[in-house]
Amino acid sequence: MRSPGDLLTAALHSAAEELTGKRLRFEVFARHGESVSVTLGVEGDAERRSSRQFGVGCRVSGRGSAGFGAASGSGARAGREAARIAGAAMMPAADPLPPHSLLGTTGTALRHDLPEVATLEELVGATASLVSGGRTGLTLVQARALAGVSWSALATGEGFHARATAGGAVLELLVAPPEGPWRHFHFAASALADLDPAAIAERVRETALLATRGAAPERRLADVVIAPAVAAPIVEALARFMTAPNEAARGLRVSRGWRLTDDRLGPDGLLPLQWDGEGLPARRIELVGDGRVGERLATWEQSGRLGDRPGGAIRHSYRHPPAAGPANLVVRHDHPLSQPDLVARVEDGYYVAAPAGAIRVAPAEGRFELHAAAVALRSGKPVAAHPLVELRGSFRRLLAGVLAAGDDRESFALSCAVTTPSLLVRRLEIA
Amino acid sequence: MEPDRATGLAELAAAITRARVRGLDDVFLERRIEAAWRLDGGRVVAREVSLSEGAAVRRDGVLVSGDGLDRPVLAGLLGIADRSLPAFSPPRFAPPPSLEETLDVLPADWSGVRWRWSWAAVLAGGTAVAVARPQLAEVTSADGQRALFSWPPDRGLRFGGSEDAARASLQGGRIRALLSPAAATVLLHELFGHPLEGDILLRRGSPWCGRFGERIVPIPLSVRDDPTRGDLPGGFSADDEGVAGAARPLLVDGVLAGALADRRTALGLGVAPGNARRASVHEPPRPRISNLVATAREPLAQPPREDASVEVVALVSGTLEPASRRVLLRVRRAFSLRRGARRQMLAPFTLAGTVDALTGGLLAAAEPAASSAEPGWCAKDGEVVATGGAAPWLLLEGLEVR
Repeated sequence: MRSPGDLLTAALHSAAEELTGKRLRFEVFARHGESVSVTLGVEGDAERRSSRQFGVGCRVSGRGSAGFGAASGSGARAGREAARIAGAAMMPAADPLPPHSLLGTTGTALRHDLPEVATLEELVGATASLVSGGRTGLTLVQARALAGVSWSALATGEGFHARATAGGAVLELLVAPPEGPWRHFHFAASALADLDPAAIAERVRETALLATRGAAPERRLADVVIAPAVAAPIVEALARFMTAPNEAARGLRVSRGWRLTDDRLGPDGLLPLQWDGEGLPARRIELVGDGRVGERLATWEQSGRLGDRPGGAIRHSYRHPPAAGPANLVVRHDHPLSQPDLVARVEDGYYVAAPAGAIRVAPAEGRFELHAAAVALRSGKPVAAHPLVELRGSFRRLLAGVLAAGDDRESFALSCAVTTPSLLVRRLEIA
Repeated sequence: MEPDRATGLAELAAAITRARVRGLDDVFLERRIEAAWRLDGGRVVAREVSLSEGAAVRRDGVLVSGDGLDRPVLAGLLGIADRSLPAFSPPRFAPPPSLEETLDVLPADWSGVRWRWSWAAVLAGGTAVAVARPQLAEVTSADGQRALFSWPPDRGLRFGGSEDAARASLQGGRIRALLSPAAATVLLHELFGHPLEGDILLRRGSPWCGRFGERIVPIPLSVRDDPTRGDLPGGFSADDEGVAGAARPLLVDGVLAGALADRRTALGLGVAPGNARRASVHEPPRPRISNLVATAREPLAQPPREDASVEVVALVSGTLEPASRRVLLRVRRAFSLRRGARRQMLAPFTLAGTVDALTGGLLAAAEPAASSAEPGWCAKDGEVVATGGAAPWLLLEGLEVR
């Protein structure tokens, strides 16, 4: 079987051959991905998967027209097909391709290795027995481990060529406490070896048993400490809200001390990159910091239209042209606190410990809501458990309301990578 | 949904059988082509086309998948030599339609249109079954709302928005609501679709576990999953394990009657398979909804607006939250009602109710029933498939406004 590098090279060459001589500017992006996963069910049934994906996306531009085409399949043929259909899709449009002078790479591609399915099975089995073992009364409903590696390459008709690799691993657990709702847990790392079954099981036991019985709280505005697992989807939604090409997020007030960056350079976060989705050198993009809203993520084409700086493009897959969006979000605070100190700051509020369902976002209104497990706090001490609360707020209130952050940063593989500590936020709606 | 007439499939299936691949369950082949048009102010500003093809093999308890349908790819997935397989020519990708010729006028509030054609086949036990599905049309609005149809898109679709400023807010509390067929379809999808999927039933994550044969709805409402409705987005001639598509009763005159199953969950539940769907060639088949079609015995002739305080016309989304056993309906378009007439358009709000309260609170069904662009794309564990539905108007109480 041919190596990923050979497949990428064959695809880039065949696409370039198809397009050379047609007096077009072009960009060819190829990606090869391999992943393995194991899912263990409540009755011990296991589902094992091994997947290899390969595809090419091609943007072409010339004579006042532009087009995009993509094709999956074997290396050279996919490259030819993508180039051919990109040409056929051309229609009058401005040139979306960045100039050659802006392209480049930063950093060095890290090596990632794909683990064997058996290694994932060991991790899932070990974690499952640790979570369900003892006298906790916890039942593991489902455990799923996934590991993947991807190799990408980008080339242009003007001679730019760059390669990158990325990889990571995720472990997800669905746990039934002896009473109360089931809990979902998500752990992510750059490599499978970084997922420690003992540490994960301890975290799961603590959190799953934290709020198993109790009534819903009265609806009110309250200060809340949001655990990293709850903060991550909110941070991701905030970054997407701020990426939208409207002026809603411009000029909003931001509390001092905290920063949200798209840390594409790394080393923090799960997914550092060497170049953005269009081949611009990766850089750290500050979305929030110094008490104000910072840069807006933008593609080259948007930068010309909206006046933003380019370099904020991502590739969801080879099937789609690059789009503006977050890649590797990291939340930091100038003065992080230990978790006990963070909780001690809450006079009358809540510790929101674990999500219970997906976040729901109303982009037009700039609002979010999610369900979670929470503990009521008085003078920093737990006074009541709430298995299911509704946390609601607006991005405007969130930006201005982050009072402090913990030193307990965790990473999550959502639709982008998010690394965040616990956040103490002033006056969110809880019910 | 024209049946596939590709040649070479039967020979390929026979060759795979001759190769005696250890522990082989089935082979799944798929080709898709998508065209997307970006629109601005009623005109096309960009066009994108994407081709994909791949295969998946289930053998020795592992799903192995790869992009490409070439002989080396198939042989690699099966773990056999290339020469064991005959040359195989999947059907050509269908050419994308011309949007401008399909729709003479493009509405100004549409920001995108996407077309999808797909072909699939399942090879198992020496036989080959081609899977025909409707071509799909997805329309997107400027603020991200999406509507899904069998191609072509409904040229009358409007997302609204200009009248938003005049909307009134609805007070919290319990209401009696009249749901349009589009909104009722989403509610029924959450109440009787997902909770009756075999994998959810087997892991005891459904409120309907152990309640088959019970009357759970007080009115003679029936709900079936119907993949034979090729006019709706979830249709198929055979499911993604090769079982011929057939309507499956789920609720008969208010009594819980059936479940959705793939081959694996069918064994555990003691029901027939036929509802396996794959989000892509890289995802395993799972029991999923296709088109949920609701009918009522002796429905009211007209929607009973005089019996409700709110008429819900369209939803943003519906969600069943397993943790709370609540259904959440995010309402996009609704009217307050007084003496059977629409009084005011309402600002967006959320309706919530427990599964038991909502099923017990169904009071009446009314004509005219209709199919709609809801619920459209349906996500489960991150795997997305096209679904459709048709329903009558529904009057229900037990919904709480948030």
